[in-house]
Amino acid sequence: MSETILMTEGLSKRFGNRWAVKDLNLDVRAGEIFGFLGPNGAGKSTTIRMILTLLLPTSGSVKLFGKEIRRARAEILSRVCGIVEKPDFYLFLSAYKNLELLGSLSRKVTRDEIFEALEIVGLKARAGDKVKTFSHGMKQRLGIAQAILTRPDLVILDEPTSGLDPQGMKEVRELILRLSREHGTTVFLSSHLLTEVEAVAQRMAVLNHGSLIAQGAVSELMNDGSSYFTISASPVDKALEMLRNVDWVEVVATGNGIDVRIDSRRAAELNRLLVTSGIDVSAFAAKRTLEDYFLKITEGASEA
Amino acid sequence: MSLFAIEIEKTYLRWRTYIGFAVILVAVILLEVIIKLNEPQMARAFSGGLSADFIISGHILNAWVITAFVMNSLYIHVPFLIALVAGDMVSSEATSGTLRFMLIRPPSRSKIISAKFLAMLFYTATLIIFFGILCVGIGLMLFGGGELIKVQPGMPHIVVLPARLAASQTGLAFIAAIISMSVVGALAFLFSTLVDNSIGPIIGSIAVVIISFILGNLPFEFTESLRPYLFTTYMGIWQLLLDNPVDWPMVLKYALALLGYDTVFFMVAYYVFVRKDIKS
Repeated sequence: MSETILMTEGLSKRFGNRWAVKDLNLDVRAGEIFGFLGPNGAGKSTTIRMILTLLLPTSGSVKLFGKEIRRARAEILSRVCGIVEKPDFYLFLSAYKNLELLGSLSRKVTRDEIFEALEIVGLKARAGDKVKTFSHGMKQRLGIAQAILTRPDLVILDEPTSGLDPQGMKEVRELILRLSREHGTTVFLSSHLLTEVEAVAQRMAVLNHGSLIAQGAVSELMNDGSSYFTISASPVDKALEMLRNVDWVEVVATGNGIDVRIDSRRAAELNRLLVTSGIDVSAFAAKRTLEDYFLKITEGASEA
Repeated sequence: MSLFAIEIEKTYLRWRTYIGFAVILVAVILLEVIIKLNEPQMARAFSGGLSADFIISGHILNAWVITAFVMNSLYIHVPFLIALVAGDMVSSEATSGTLRFMLIRPPSRSKIISAKFLAMLFYTATLIIFFGILCVGIGLMLFGGGELIKVQPGMPHIVVLPARLAASQTGLAFIAAIISMSVVGALAFLFSTLVDNSIGPIIGSIAVVIISFILGNLPFEFTESLRPYLFTTYMGIWQLLLDNPVDWPMVLKYALALLGYDTVFFMVAYYVFVRKDIKS
């Protein structure tokens, strides 16, 4: 097993009477892309802020590279970089100047290093342009350039695809994968998009209402029961009638497609049943939304 | 690059920083040209009622007299120009989000806040030095040199500084003005650490200066008892240096009081900043 480079123990934060994060135990290993999944308001950003010393925990501890962050702050943070919530820059300065000033907070950065980072994120040609002229997607990419500029061992990214169009999201995901593959950087990726975490992460933790509800390998957690499927069939009425008559199928919703809950091992059987009943099936897909996933794992927990 | 150098670079790369310099440039040129164009009337005004009792010969209006007059704007718009930058030092970075990034880098919060405070002092000093050079430079061009004659309103004496002392004491007066204005800067800086917007610290600090001035000048027993505790009481330190002879113990007292306020405001800002939860 790889070395644990980020560990939280009983990490908690209370704002007034509300617990934003409660008793959180995370374990991130060297070299992996670790997904930190949860809906908006789950406590992801609060956790990241505690890890990076922006917030003082109410209780619990954060260890990075085996050391308590409060005791070895400067040493640890020289090996970590991150974007908290959104990448922010001095809008009146150029991309190059921003990287030079922000990079200098860690160590002296060379001109070549700045241009290399800009090249990796595809912004080399815009190095001299003021950041105020950049689109949201370009700022996100510049944020990643800034995060990798000083070659940190751990990069913490908080919702890095937030507000991006599909192409922008794809580019950022590719960048994250490149960081991990080509530079061996450990990436802590916070997201509310299950598909995003599933696409890039090897392990993940799921947070809801400030509490950890699952942690482990993405493949194991996801295969735990993809029992929700969306079926597009025609004629819809006939398909619905048939599905309601099958005792091992539960129709949970109808809309653009028919959402059903079944034992995932019987998906092919159901598809065959529909087709042999004279129903045209144009799509039969497992649902991968965070809501479904939460429903599944919280149900799993209550059944256990 | 040191943290101080980074802060200086950020401060002087913003066009907002030059508002102060531009306002002072325009105000000093305008004021001195207007005085030049109305020199006879202004000379009568400057000499007050002295012409009834004295025979005044030579140029009463010269660079040093004009500079001493223009320096009164240290009570008017210069504090606002200082607050404009000082009140923005921390809060603008909190608003823009760049403070978050700074605080997740290796330098400690104490080093960051100290570097920002020093940058604020540096800005204050450069603005006042610019103000001084401009006042004296344009004054010398338009009016030439001479003795610094000051008529103290309500005082039973006039001050005459010989030409050989006028330049050096005016220089010292501007150094004292830097100390005086640094208190306004430190106050705005403190407010800047308390909130995440820039308008609040700027308006807040100017409001405190104005209220403090008013309280310090009200002729009531209660407000007079407050006077020693108001920093505005000591802000006129530069005027003491244009006296002849200079009351050095008083200058020292005023300077120590102002530096004390600087220290207190910085210490509170430091305490707040180091312990602050960054939620924005």
